[in-house]
Amino acid sequence: MNKLKVGLISFAHSHANSYYESLCKMPEVEIVGIADENRSRVEGIIAQSGLPYFADYKQLLATDADAVVICSENVHHAKLTIEAAKAKKHVLCEKPLGITADEMEAMIAACRDNGVQLMTAFPCRYLPAVADAKAAIDRGDIGDIVAIKGTNHGTNPGGWFTDRKLSGGGAVLDHTVHVMDLMNWMLGSAPQEVYAYTGTRFGDAEIDDAGLVHVKFPGGVFGVIDTSWSRPRSFPTWGDVTMEIVGTKGVISVDGFAQKNEVYSDIDKQASWSYWGDNMDELMIQDFVRALLEGRPVPITGEDGMKSAAVALAAYESSKLGQPVGL
Amino acid sequence: MKVGVVGCGGMGHVHAQSYAKMRDAELVGVCDLDAELAGELAKKAGTRAFTSFEEMLEAVDPEVISIALPSYLHKEAVLKAAAAGRHVICEKPVSLTLEDTDEIIAACELNGVRLFIGHVLRFFPEYEQLKRQVDSGVIGEPGVAHAKRVGGHPGEAKQWFKDETKSGGVIVDMMIHDIDFMRWAFGEVKSVFAMNKVDNEMDYALVTLQFQNGAAANLEAFWGYPGSFSYSAELAGSKGLIRLDSSTSASLHTRAKVRTREERQFAEIPQSPGTRSPFELELSHFLTCIREGEEPRVTVQDAREALRISLAALESIRTGKVIYL
Repeated sequence: MNKLKVGLISFAHSHANSYYESLCKMPEVEIVGIADENRSRVEGIIAQSGLPYFADYKQLLATDADAVVICSENVHHAKLTIEAAKAKKHVLCEKPLGITADEMEAMIAACRDNGVQLMTAFPCRYLPAVADAKAAIDRGDIGDIVAIKGTNHGTNPGGWFTDRKLSGGGAVLDHTVHVMDLMNWMLGSAPQEVYAYTGTRFGDAEIDDAGLVHVKFPGGVFGVIDTSWSRPRSFPTWGDVTMEIVGTKGVISVDGFAQKNEVYSDIDKQASWSYWGDNMDELMIQDFVRALLEGRPVPITGEDGMKSAAVALAAYESSKLGQPVGL
Repeated sequence: MKVGVVGCGGMGHVHAQSYAKMRDAELVGVCDLDAELAGELAKKAGTRAFTSFEEMLEAVDPEVISIALPSYLHKEAVLKAAAAGRHVICEKPVSLTLEDTDEIIAACELNGVRLFIGHVLRFFPEYEQLKRQVDSGVIGEPGVAHAKRVGGHPGEAKQWFKDETKSGGVIVDMMIHDIDFMRWAFGEVKSVFAMNKVDNEMDYALVTLQFQNGAAANLEAFWGYPGSFSYSAELAGSKGLIRLDSSTSASLHTRAKVRTREERQFAEIPQSPGTRSPFELELSHFLTCIREGEEPRVTVQDAREALRISLAALESIRTGKVIYL
């Protein structure tokens, strides 16, 4: 079997664990090693799997890996992606792709110039409800899209996420990009104007944990996303991905994690929602791996990642100005 | 207390039938230019029908006039009732402009009559409980809120709803409920930003309010929604969040077989029954305020502020800018 050799760089973002597990399940993948300057983050996996460990990512880039998965703190995405591209490795980069437009352009250019592919990790496209909604829209089931109201609520992840020097931004950067990408994807377009509210309302983090981001697309389609880390600790799940898609001939409501059982146990002392739907991370990783093995373009590009991160960056600008800003 | 209802459409029915049930109110007449509508409602509510306001005043001498006319007719009716020295209960929105609203308020003050505007959401048990819990600190400091209100287009049955100069559109007519509620729960509004799509089939709006305390809310309203009427709200803060949703709190579902010519189908009616309707609670509260000289749960200034915010949303749609109040 023609195998894809994959390395993982940094487990700073916990999604790396899920991507790692997804890769492990694929017979067509050979994991060549894990790089993380912080060994304690990956100690468990290294011990259990016996995989090569690299304290310096450059050692991993020196292997014969075909591709790398980058889940570092946001501010390191650009450097790591560009280095990986120079080492001729394809890249799957965690979202947000970058924290400035310039660095994202440089990432895209580096991959292009080195003949490798860059994919942004937007697993929400692989939620079956989302994928079916997109298909229904493409079939014209609800006519032309008029507006979309989305939410990507979460819980404050803490750690480096609330340290601007490492994250580049709070809830607005973290949680605009997923649903924004879905809107761009469904509309085949990108916003031309952004208005945003940002605030720190849910804790004492010195970073935004609240956001409402309005967007206007060419042709007048409009939308809003609640990006807030507003789920309290007592909430039965981590957050949500929802979209109310209003068309000229109908409405589609997506609740991406509605496939759940409700759990009430005296052992947990807290009600919880236990998701049983398909694993979106697994479906995304499969698509990434198969595109590379079959020499197809990756399904979600660096440009896609930049388009939606650009909205988050514009949101901060709008919030500062107190008025909408153009893109 | 003798009450006369002006306007015998949908809301007129709700007003008249609510008064008819109250022990401390006497529904002395209902009035509509359309004699048939007035007659029908009079029969249902067990009272007399009139086709002119003056005639009703003359014949049955109501102390309170309850106005359930289309919004663009509120001003004329309130001014007439005030001039005749009658207390006024008027449906929301108080009127369609701040100038008209100020004229209405001034006329009621001048004539020494009370004026109440029917922002009935404050009397819905789920919203009232939500407000009480926010006040008692259940969610901590206000953070980010949502409100949603969607249903069929009322303009399909009553054409005036589709004329923005007569109804104000979905924001001034329907979202104003949630605007008033959010202001009640989260405090004074600092700025308004709005987006809207209006055509013959739909009126859909997304409005973001920023509050003086730093919190924010996004409100969604939809006329022309292809589903049952429903509403929901979520208020999140530093210590918790509270949600309400009419579709999940429906406590009674009736599912009946319906035989049509072609095929067997079914009809499903979700309901959330209670012993007293929010409208009865509201109208009865207003009558008590008249009798006891008390301040109402929702004042005329609250109604004016809800209108001012709604109009700011329209201005935001026109200009594409954030409107600072």
